[in-house]
Amino acid sequence: MILAAGEGRRTGHHTNKVLLPLAGRRVFTWSIRWARLVPEVTRTLVLIREQDRDLVTRTIDREVGPPDIEIVIGGNSRHGSEWEALQVLAPAIEAGEIDVVAIHDAARPLAGSDMWAEVIDTAARFGGAIPANDHKHLISLDERGSPTERVVAVQTPQAFSARPLLDAYRRAQVEGFVGTDTASCIERYSATSVTCVPGDEGNIKITFPDDLFVAERLLATARWDLSGGREPTHRRSRMHLPRRSAEGDPG
Amino acid sequence: MSTELAELHCETCDQVTEHELHYTGRLLESVRCTVCGAHLDVPARDMLGSYLADLEHRVASKPGRMVRRAGRDPLGFVLQLPAAIARQPGKFLRELRSIFRH
Repeated sequence: MILAAGEGRRTGHHTNKVLLPLAGRRVFTWSIRWARLVPEVTRTLVLIREQDRDLVTRTIDREVGPPDIEIVIGGNSRHGSEWEALQVLAPAIEAGEIDVVAIHDAARPLAGSDMWAEVIDTAARFGGAIPANDHKHLISLDERGSPTERVVAVQTPQAFSARPLLDAYRRAQVEGFVGTDTASCIERYSATSVTCVPGDEGNIKITFPDDLFVAERLLATARWDLSGGREPTHRRSRMHLPRRSAEGDPG
Repeated sequence: MSTELAELHCETCDQVTEHELHYTGRLLESVRCTVCGAHLDVPARDMLGSYLADLEHRVASKPGRMVRRAGRDPLGFVLQLPAAIARQPGKFLRELRSIFRH
């Protein structure tokens, strides 16, 4: 589930930041590329705003190969978009065809295939998985003013067992609860444990203008390949250049 | 050179504002907040190195991209190919000019 609907405050003719060009693709299709190299990923939904439909459709047609991607119009919040997508997935979840749902913010184009594989595997084993990094320059204080042990920055993709996730969102819908993130909803309405997996410093979220420069540079440094070796050899051989081949790179 | 308008968080305004983004080829060359004028860009000498590395990758990945395009729309691909080839020299010239003017 790729969340590309934004936060609902855009007006006029501005391009949604996840639809901006980034190193030869639009920001959101980088995420789709790395996710779909993981064999466990069988369906891909992209949550968008109605006004972005034409550009999203054309971009997917140009930049993403088969199997088809399902386009779903998102809600007014992250929670609302997740609920819309879960309703689309509900029949398959109830039929036992989907075990795990992974949710990703399309503004994080550098979440590589290894991270996708790790959160999906962890969610399949423990119920829920979120990537987190220590925030060493921040201190959280408890009620008595004493520093707590750790402050972490949570990233996406996050993955959860499909059935408890669907049940939690159905209960949230009935009670009118809107969570700030997926974990808050699943922790409120289910006994599913959420496990932290190591985040990646390079998995930045495009927020500030300089994030685009950094993302471009990080992709170039990785030779535009965050597949963790999953990219088919014939494609990698085209992406990797002679200089790396001479250093013994298999591509 | 292409231009996009997008809403990003401006550190000077400390809020989400409209930004104008300028691209050379596939690379972002500069970003300007249209509210306060805060401007970020890549120095020309750095831009040239990045551009050449990116160009190398564009050329290396071109056959694959052409095959995928031809697979999606074979007739359209064949009909548009001569004009697309004819446009390339001018396109590269404009990109290089943009880097050196920058």
